[in-house]
Amino acid sequence: MPLINYVACSVILFFIGVYCLIVKRNMIRLLMGLEIMMNAANLNFIAFSKMAVEGASHPLAHVFTIISISIGGCVIALGLIITLYAYRHYGTLDVRELRRLKH
Amino acid sequence: MSKMLLSILIISTLSIPPISLIGKKARRERLFLSTFTILVLLGVFILSIISLLDMTQRDGVLTSLGSLSSPEKPEIRADLLSIYMTVIYLGICLLAFIFSAKIVPRSRSVTYFLVILGMLTSMVGVVFSEDFFTLFIFWEAMCICSYALVSFDRERGEPIEASYKYLIMSSAGGITILFALSFLYGLTGTLNFQYLSESLSQTEGNLLLNLIILMLLIGFGLQAGMAPFHTWLPDALCAAPSVISAFLSACTEKTGLYCLLKVFFAISGSLYENWRVPIAIFAVFSMFIGNLSALLQDDLKRLFAYSTIANTGYILAGISIGSFRALAGSLFHILNHAVVVALLFLCVGVYIRQARTRNLRLIAGIGRTMPLTSFAFIIGVLSLATFPVLNIFWSELMIITAGWEAGFAWLSFLIILNLIFSAAYSLRIIEWVLMKKTTYISRRVKEAPPLMIIPILILALTVIMIGIYPAPFQRLTERIVESIFLSK
Repeated sequence: MPLINYVACSVILFFIGVYCLIVKRNMIRLLMGLEIMMNAANLNFIAFSKMAVEGASHPLAHVFTIISISIGGCVIALGLIITLYAYRHYGTLDVRELRRLKH
Repeated sequence: MSKMLLSILIISTLSIPPISLIGKKARRERLFLSTFTILVLLGVFILSIISLLDMTQRDGVLTSLGSLSSPEKPEIRADLLSIYMTVIYLGICLLAFIFSAKIVPRSRSVTYFLVILGMLTSMVGVVFSEDFFTLFIFWEAMCICSYALVSFDRERGEPIEASYKYLIMSSAGGITILFALSFLYGLTGTLNFQYLSESLSQTEGNLLLNLIILMLLIGFGLQAGMAPFHTWLPDALCAAPSVISAFLSACTEKTGLYCLLKVFFAISGSLYENWRVPIAIFAVFSMFIGNLSALLQDDLKRLFAYSTIANTGYILAGISIGSFRALAGSLFHILNHAVVVALLFLCVGVYIRQARTRNLRLIAGIGRTMPLTSFAFIIGVLSLATFPVLNIFWSELMIITAGWEAGFAWLSFLIILNLIFSAAYSLRIIEWVLMKKTTYISRRVKEAPPLMIIPILILALTVIMIGIYPAPFQRLTERIVESIFLSK
């Protein structure tokens, strides 16, 4: 398959994630939106790694992707911990209910 | 030298849990931990000052051109700019640790020292890295530590909420950076700064490259508190404990600005010319939103958070003007604002501890009962109002005159207009703290313990010292800008 298909797919995934961040109101769904955006970027890296060297794949992108997947796991884990504490405080997962802060 | 500095920091971060175990045996956990971290930081701080002085003597340019590694290899190297940022981070972190040595809750001291030291280490890693691969790892480590620190006080609802907001916005920014990096990698096949600048200097700047730079600007600017993306900042700085707010606004934001400097002056080359006006527009937005929201704020922490946004705007204005003197002014302003904002947040921390409130109306007239703290506080507030002979005045003067010379007269005029706003809210704070009648709270408070007063007085003296004798610092920043331009 030509490269442009992969890139188009990752751009679409990225915008699905952005849409999820803008529209959704559930705390866990927002984290899932972040995860989708992260995967879009990782897919992009892997797709480009095939193109950099003729007939082989470039190792830099693979290393970067493995590390960025683990970083993403850390961020989501911390987000879930914070969600857990928020649920204990407010008894809901709806971000519209979290309005103690002044704006 | 830079590798040694970074490895000392990493090793000392990792040795926090064993030391806490030894401390637990001796029933002096917090004492052990704070002594250890303060001693390590003091050593590293002296080391970094020595290497800063060493590098200003030497010709730093020749060393950076000499060795060119392969385009895949991750690299850690210190130039003059990164050592300068490191000195700022280490100095402020040292004072913040001295300040908080006695007030950390005993049960959570391990977490506190571990996470702050980890955050400091990753910030030093960000400024030392010479390629986007290393930079991104350290950047995300720094962000994760700062989310954890904002929600440090997890028993209350407000920090949890602010931390969640910060996590969502800042990780979205981080992922935007990652997405931009993937396209940058696809276009050039490398992530090393030197190779990137070489390959980008030959291109004519198509649409995709400009989009990449826009995404990098949004991602790094979000952490720096740039205007349309600033909404997490007042909440996070309000909800975090004061030491951590001082640390966040004095260091983490400046890391974002450092990365913007790297993007525009070390990598993008001639593409920078297209981006001067957009950065200036972002800068003007930040200044106005920050200063106008701060005008009638009664919550002291929220007020200083908004003024931080305004100051980010001034630094961005310097970046957008882009002449020699403007960049030197921006770097000088990074130092000055870091010192001043750390001083202000630590003073608010003392007020919160002694008076249990951060509302300006409730602590009216507190200058009579807490003279030392209020003296330092007033010095900081006057500096924020760009009072002459205090430090912020000089860096603002550099940015404004440089804008006038470089044909950005409208930007200089808008900065001057904003200085009037900041003078207005600063004078309002001084009026409430010194002139008004004391309330039932401010009549009963006592002066804080000496361990909290000493770092505040050191910061206040630094403010006065830079204000009276700015010439060596101006020379230092001009030297740094020279090295940036020469290595390009």
